[in-house]
Amino acid sequence: MNCQQFQETLPYIIESGGGGEDESHLQECESCASLVRDLRYIAEQAKLLLPMHDPNPRVWHNIEQSLHREGLLPEGRMSRPGHTQKNSTSQTQAKSWTPVGGVMALTALIIFAVVLTNYKPANVQPATLSARNSATDSIQFSSDDQQLISRLSQQSPEAQRAYEASLRDVNAYIADAEQAAKSNPSDASAQALLQNAYEQKEMVYQMATARSLP
Amino acid sequence: MKSNTATRALLFTAASFAICVCAAHAADSRKEARIDIAPGGTVNIVNGGGSITLHSGAGHQLLVAYTAHSAKVEVDQSSSDNKQRVELLTHALPGEKPTADEAKVDYDVTVPAGISVNASTTSGSITADGISSEIGLSSETGQITVHNIAKSHVHVRSVTAPVSLQDVTMSRVDIQSAGGTVQLKNVNGQRVAVGTTSGNIDYQGDFSGGGDYILTTHSGAIDVTLPATASVDLSARSTTGTVENDFPLQQKPHTSFVPQQGRSFAGTSNSGSSSVELQSFSGKIRVKKQ
Repeated sequence: MNCQQFQETLPYIIESGGGGEDESHLQECESCASLVRDLRYIAEQAKLLLPMHDPNPRVWHNIEQSLHREGLLPEGRMSRPGHTQKNSTSQTQAKSWTPVGGVMALTALIIFAVVLTNYKPANVQPATLSARNSATDSIQFSSDDQQLISRLSQQSPEAQRAYEASLRDVNAYIADAEQAAKSNPSDASAQALLQNAYEQKEMVYQMATARSLP
Repeated sequence: MKSNTATRALLFTAASFAICVCAAHAADSRKEARIDIAPGGTVNIVNGGGSITLHSGAGHQLLVAYTAHSAKVEVDQSSSDNKQRVELLTHALPGEKPTADEAKVDYDVTVPAGISVNASTTSGSITADGISSEIGLSSETGQITVHNIAKSHVHVRSVTAPVSLQDVTMSRVDIQSAGGTVQLKNVNGQRVAVGTTSGNIDYQGDFSGGGDYILTTHSGAIDVTLPATASVDLSARSTTGTVENDFPLQQKPHTSFVPQQGRSFAGTSNSGSSSVELQSFSGKIRVKKQ
């Protein structure tokens, strides 16, 4: 199960605790685990705030519409089918709502919806996830980069600054180009960008190693 | 009495000035040399913070004039046995640790026709005018300027040095610059390739010659200005940046990518004889009519 699939079952997980596969994903993915912890906390707090009655069906309906608009829920998959069905046909309002409790419940539910609709998993595919991680790592200077910068610092502070900035930019270029090439392996233009990025780094290294004077 | 004192002060000042001028003249020693080089040979010049100026000239010898800014540096000159290769290398004298300014040597080299040139500096500028063979120029931070070149191969590399080419025609051009801006004006040929990391690229001209023009950058902007008479098959793509076009292009029935509003476009003008590819990862691409 990846983050996208997990996300589709998120409302059920909050409600029922999820199945074995969900638990397995939660153990592997800190991002999703953190989200579920937050949502469960909000849900628990919401229960404490109000008398045990559901809010107006319109609230659920709006949340559902919002989730559908964001593409977070497929059609026909609302987390509370029983309640939704019952409330959507019910014309009676709960009598035991207090104004403060109602407002707080509504607030909690809005927070829940906002968190859910704004939630974007780190990435959908695990392969892409690892690509992004490696890309981020490569923006840091490699040991070769650090050696080069260190050697340049002994020759000329100006050169050190120029090469350090260039290496940082070039590494960012390589990271972006690698990610683009992996996302679109058949895109010749993405491959060309990656090639250019590596040529840039090669050039920077050649020029740095060839220099002899301050 | 007062007049006498004033005269002495004036003489003292004049003498001091003369001593300074002599000292400066001694430090900035200019030397000239005529160096034999075989037809089709190559001259390699390695310099630091000083400038290199290259001219074309008649004859069969290199005319080299250089001015050292201090006595702590010197120029080594060497040639291969067959005179195919000439080396000019600026270096510090043993035991000397010149400052950046003291290490400067300014070169002025007249190059016969058909002689290839490779010139590199750290922070000094490089200017090449009218050279008629292969030219390889590289500088970390010094301005690189090339003009009046025809039927040549121009290869330029820079770290942050700005690069400017003007009136370079019927040539192969290959420019790599990490952070320097690249300006091309009336540059054409069978292949013109420019790649930068963060440097902006500016092209003004008609992309003539039926060649391949490839301008690529990571985060720099690409600005292209071309006349209505340009015959191009043009595509522009920015992965996360934007593209703008006010040059009239005819839509192509087939493209290698699906044009995306604001991110990419493609089209032809006139017979589309030259291929022009503009690509940026996050920079802005603008194509304008002259």
